[in-house]
Amino acid sequence: MSIINVIGVGKVYNPETIPVHALTAVNLEFRKGEFTAIVGPSGCGKTTLLNMIGGLDYPTSGNVIINDTDLSTLTSKQLIRFRLHNIGFVFQDYSLLPVLTARENTEFIMQLQKRSKKEYRERSTALLTEVGLADRLDTFPRKLSGGQQQRVAVARALAAKPQFVLADEPTANLDSRSTTELLDIMLRLNREEHITFIFSTHDQRVIEKARRVIRLEDGKVIQSGEMKEGQ
Amino acid sequence: MIAAISWRNIWRNKWRSIVIIMAITAGLTGGIFTVAIYNGLAEQKLRTAIDTQTAHLQMHASGFQENMDIRLYLHDADRMLAVAGAQPGVQAVAGRLIATGMAASANSNIGIRLNGIVPEKEKAISTIYQSLVEGDYFQNEKRNQVLISSRTAKKLKVGLNGKVVVTLQDLNGDIVGAAFRVGGIFKTTHTGFDETNVFVLKRDLERILSMDGIVNEIAIRASDIEAVPGVQRRLQETFPPKETQVESWRELQPELAYINDVTWQVNYLILVIILLALAFGILNTMLMAIFERVREIGVLMAVGMSKARIFSMIILETVFLSLTGAALGMVISAWLVSTLGTSGIDLSAFAQGLEAFGYSSMIYPQLEPLFYLTLACMVVIAALLSSLYPAYKALELNPVEAIHG
Repeated sequence: MSIINVIGVGKVYNPETIPVHALTAVNLEFRKGEFTAIVGPSGCGKTTLLNMIGGLDYPTSGNVIINDTDLSTLTSKQLIRFRLHNIGFVFQDYSLLPVLTARENTEFIMQLQKRSKKEYRERSTALLTEVGLADRLDTFPRKLSGGQQQRVAVARALAAKPQFVLADEPTANLDSRSTTELLDIMLRLNREEHITFIFSTHDQRVIEKARRVIRLEDGKVIQSGEMKEGQ
Repeated sequence: MIAAISWRNIWRNKWRSIVIIMAITAGLTGGIFTVAIYNGLAEQKLRTAIDTQTAHLQMHASGFQENMDIRLYLHDADRMLAVAGAQPGVQAVAGRLIATGMAASANSNIGIRLNGIVPEKEKAISTIYQSLVEGDYFQNEKRNQVLISSRTAKKLKVGLNGKVVVTLQDLNGDIVGAAFRVGGIFKTTHTGFDETNVFVLKRDLERILSMDGIVNEIAIRASDIEAVPGVQRRLQETFPPKETQVESWRELQPELAYINDVTWQVNYLILVIILLALAFGILNTMLMAIFERVREIGVLMAVGMSKARIFSMIILETVFLSLTGAALGMVISAWLVSTLGTSGIDLSAFAQGLEAFGYSSMIYPQLEPLFYLTLACMVVIAALLSSLYPAYKALELNPVEAIHG
């Protein structure tokens, strides 16, 4: 069952002056439980595509439909609310709030959702335990390694119980050990809890673990397919 | 959580926040202390004027105040004194005989206002007896004693027990005179008052003027300044203005009334100017803080934080920053005002200048507790106003552009 439908999506920056075609007529479908890598050279439109799917930007043409909701029909205020309840984000540079501890960073999203204290306290502890940070709950980001911060970011992304998680180059700033640890966690969550992950990456180690790879070039999808074991 | 984030955000750039907090603290301490000094000066000037010069209220025959004509006296003074003394809110009353004339010594002469008083009655009205620097306050009740100020003594070049000849017009317009001995020398904080006023026993002045039991001024001391309008209204109702003028210190000393009325306006004007200057400093600090966190704000928007919450976060951050400085400023000011309000600030180096305007060279700063509360509200308003632009700039951010720079 598809949860995301990208239908004829195009994005043109500076249409009035020097038009830059970041995406051209992209058609894609994502099903629940996917572990998908969007790959391609720099400037091919990976991040733009993630922005469209994540409701951070409006396409110039086409539609992004998530569970029957056409994002282009939502106002910016409705989009913020939609993102809060439906989409988890993991950023390349972790983007944790430096003034909040690991636990508070995870709870913060649930507080925005107005969950009860009991619920967000239990869930943040469970999520941070799941990403291997049970002993770092009250640690501020500056005292965590890059890998640990990115694991907190994954816990934060999952805290809102989103339909799917979008990760923009999640391992770009990590060493190989942290990359492996993070991938293992994401794969485990995908396998055991059927969390849908869609991520852009250049990292061959990440591409190898993906079950589906979408290859972009000059804003167009040139390949989309399931990866076979060992491919 | 928003409040916690705002509070912790302040301390992300510790030194920048400390600098602006110190600026707010210093600005407010300076402002509050200036206001306290101004209040102390105004209050002291008012109290001194009431205590030594006007009392709270005075009654005269209509027209007397305009030309000090000795023939315009209060015809039913005993009844007036009794009625005034029986009014609720009245602490004491005293009848005076006032005349103008010349005082001459062997060396010099000056124009004077002669205050014929009954010492024991006057003590309940005026504190002039506390201002004696030499001699005594009609203690031995000798005839023809005069109390003069140290300035008058200097001008006439006389000392204690020195001879002063007083000449004035009697009821018939004839010039009469008498010799007085200086029984005491006083000094108040008002040069102008000291230069013109001398005090003699009322019975001595009555004898010189061949007037017996005459009163042309009734001075009234109220239990407190708030009681004055009520007493004035009742007395004026009892004694019609056509014949008797009942004037409060406000009419007798209009410049003091003006100072008293504008004090709070001046106080708030001083603080508004200081807060305005501080508001620009706060605005600058907050703008820097926002521009440094563009990406972070973009991420907050991306993960679902509404614009209203981002707006609140920045407003709260500004309010916390400002109130921290304000609280420190108010604590330091309260301590300063309390300490110096008791011990006083000795400005005797500038005594001559201050006393020329009726101010004491010892200043006791003072402030009403309510003022601090009003000030705290003003600081919050200033903080809110100075946070609007930075908050607006934050809301203008597009999450995609903010995240990707």
